[in-house]
Amino acid sequence: MMRKLFLIALILALVSVSAVGAQDEAQYAGLDMDLSGITIKMANIGGGQYEVMYDAISVFEEATGATVEIVALLDGFSMDQKLKVDFATGAADYDVAWDHTSFVAQYTPFLLPLQDYFSEDELAAFSPAILDAATIDGDLYLIPRHADISPIHYRKDLYEDDAIAAAFMDATGEELTVPTTLEQIDQQARFFVENGHSTLGYTLAGKEEALTGRFYEMHFASGGSLFDENYEPAFNDEIGVAVAELLAGWYVDGVIPSDTTSLLWDGVAQYFCNNDVAIKLEWYGWYAYFQDTDSCAVAGNFGLARGFTGLSIGGDAVRPSGWAGAHAFSVPATAPNPQAGVQLIKFLSSERVAYEEALLGFLPTRSDVWDRVIADASDAENPLDRERLELARVQVGEDFKTPPLIAEWIPFSNIFYPHLQAVILGDVSAQDGLDAAAAETREMMADAGYY
Amino acid sequence: MIGRRKNADDGAAPKRVIQFSRIDAGAFPFLLIFPAVLVILLVIAFPLLYSLYVSFTPYELLKPNSLNFTAARALRNYEKLLNDDIFWRSLWNTIVFLAVTVNLSYLLSLALSQLLARVTFGQSLLRTLLMVPMMFAPILVGMQFRWFFNANVGLVNNFLISVGILQEQGQIAWLVDVPLGMITIIIASIWMNIPVMTIILLAGVLSLPSETFEAAEVDGASGWQKFRFITFPLLAPFSYIALTIMSLDIARAFDIVRIMTDGGPARRTEMLWTYITRLAIEDTKFGLGSAMSWITVSLSVLFTLYFFRQLVKARIVQ
Repeated sequence: MMRKLFLIALILALVSVSAVGAQDEAQYAGLDMDLSGITIKMANIGGGQYEVMYDAISVFEEATGATVEIVALLDGFSMDQKLKVDFATGAADYDVAWDHTSFVAQYTPFLLPLQDYFSEDELAAFSPAILDAATIDGDLYLIPRHADISPIHYRKDLYEDDAIAAAFMDATGEELTVPTTLEQIDQQARFFVENGHSTLGYTLAGKEEALTGRFYEMHFASGGSLFDENYEPAFNDEIGVAVAELLAGWYVDGVIPSDTTSLLWDGVAQYFCNNDVAIKLEWYGWYAYFQDTDSCAVAGNFGLARGFTGLSIGGDAVRPSGWAGAHAFSVPATAPNPQAGVQLIKFLSSERVAYEEALLGFLPTRSDVWDRVIADASDAENPLDRERLELARVQVGEDFKTPPLIAEWIPFSNIFYPHLQAVILGDVSAQDGLDAAAAETREMMADAGYY
Repeated sequence: MIGRRKNADDGAAPKRVIQFSRIDAGAFPFLLIFPAVLVILLVIAFPLLYSLYVSFTPYELLKPNSLNFTAARALRNYEKLLNDDIFWRSLWNTIVFLAVTVNLSYLLSLALSQLLARVTFGQSLLRTLLMVPMMFAPILVGMQFRWFFNANVGLVNNFLISVGILQEQGQIAWLVDVPLGMITIIIASIWMNIPVMTIILLAGVLSLPSETFEAAEVDGASGWQKFRFITFPLLAPFSYIALTIMSLDIARAFDIVRIMTDGGPARRTEMLWTYITRLAIEDTKFGLGSAMSWITVSLSVLFTLYFFRQLVKARIVQ
């Protein structure tokens, strides 16, 4: 009898231990359907670390019996072109497509709403801010894969030097602390450059959507809005003019690089990597590169802080910066096997796969994955590894703000950024440049049927 | 059996002759070229005419219903473009770029062809080296020159800093400043285009009759006089061919511009084809993009006709 009781107790103990073990290990999802004989086609983003995730697909194929065929692996902008052409010609014969919060609005007539394919519990795992950005007119069009947002990056040596701090106090009457507002950034960036402490005070990408997005970020952080409630251009208001004048002033005073208007993300990152920039907003995705001592002089010499709040001209409407986006998956409306596509998306966005991708440095979009990666980083050699993740979680959760969810975002950007470049380069005044951009934007929006 | 077959063949042969002879001799050539014409119509004429049709519609790629012709809106795209400052600016930039690039390329190629024609040692090696730029795709040339002129890590600025001409903080923004942005694109384009032009002109120089030069020498003509009054006029047909080919090629400037400045900053180096790409491909406004393409192609055709007339005139003079 005693032996029987002992055996039962042992079995119960083993079951409970294995149950705890199962909870401790991140779980796959989307494996609960027999998809034998089905070929799921997927058009996805490719290149570098993006493709590591696709190694996990063999697990899905083995468990469900499906075959996954990747029909495209292109960079984001090439995928955008492919999707537009395929949607327009009815050739989107794949079940899963790469998507992005910045692009999704233009695809919505060609995508399958996904809210009926996911339970509330399944969706509850994702950041609500990102799901909001994925929902247009009440329909959910994408399931997020990973996100990105920008914290302030600053050179630690500049903020840990007593002599510099004393000089700053003499010059401004204020303590030299890591900036939290755009006005502080302006003041400190100018001080560092004027006094020879740093070659450059700030950097930002100066063309295409990258410039439009950075302006948008400074504008909304200062309480502005690109469009009013009727989609009339509103960026040429006094807040917009103040932001544009700030950028133009930085350019003429050498606070930002002389080739700012030809810089995209890699060029901007290179300046910071060279230890030439005092402060800047930069995507979290560059962290590993900046910490690589073989590649970057700034490695080990920078800290991170939450995005700045905007210019005080915005009064109570100022908020933290946080232009953000998320890579994601969608299902085309013309997908031959939409349910199978959804199952693959459930698998790829599952806790286990998302966690494995987060280990590569991408910012997760699931709360359970955040818990895991932050716990993992608790014993990291560099405390910034953990601080980075904790800060990123706050920003993704609270500051995440996508561009306006309109199909005209990229056409708008193509109208807007050359005018802002002209302002920055001093070709026109801020007011004239923004007014000209507003007039062209209005014509484009009218053609698109907004008024 | 063999005999019967032979008889049958003998009977069939005259029939075939009769069938061919029934075809009008005048129509026979047209019959022969019909397949080629059909293919050309399908592959070239149809897309061209279709794009002409699209240019009269407000078609946008992701709005299939916009591919709809209405008489009231037919000329809207053309009106928009003619009132579009960016279109005129990109046209002006293209003309400046074309004029400077073609003329400088021509002058340099003319000089190179004269030098190469006089080389007596290592001629084959020099000609092969001359062709090296032709082996690079324009996109690679653009990337290479973009790196040369990069303000931060570029070869040119670093060289100027290392020899003390520039200070670290005084880096020149080659791809940004006016007129440096345009000049850098022109330099890259000239580097890429000189070989073709030089080879055409060199072929011309080598084909000139030696008797004329010998007669000039007897009359005591100087080297410059021989070039000015013999070589240059006799090279005219070759010059026009080279100028026509290169003008059409350079006017299509896209790859190098796209890579080096992408038409910017602030439209400072916007060319016709970069603007068309922005409208048609990035903004997916196929109607507007087609209209601009047709205006551009029409201008190119007029330009080509002018050059061919000059070519014909030069040949008549000769």
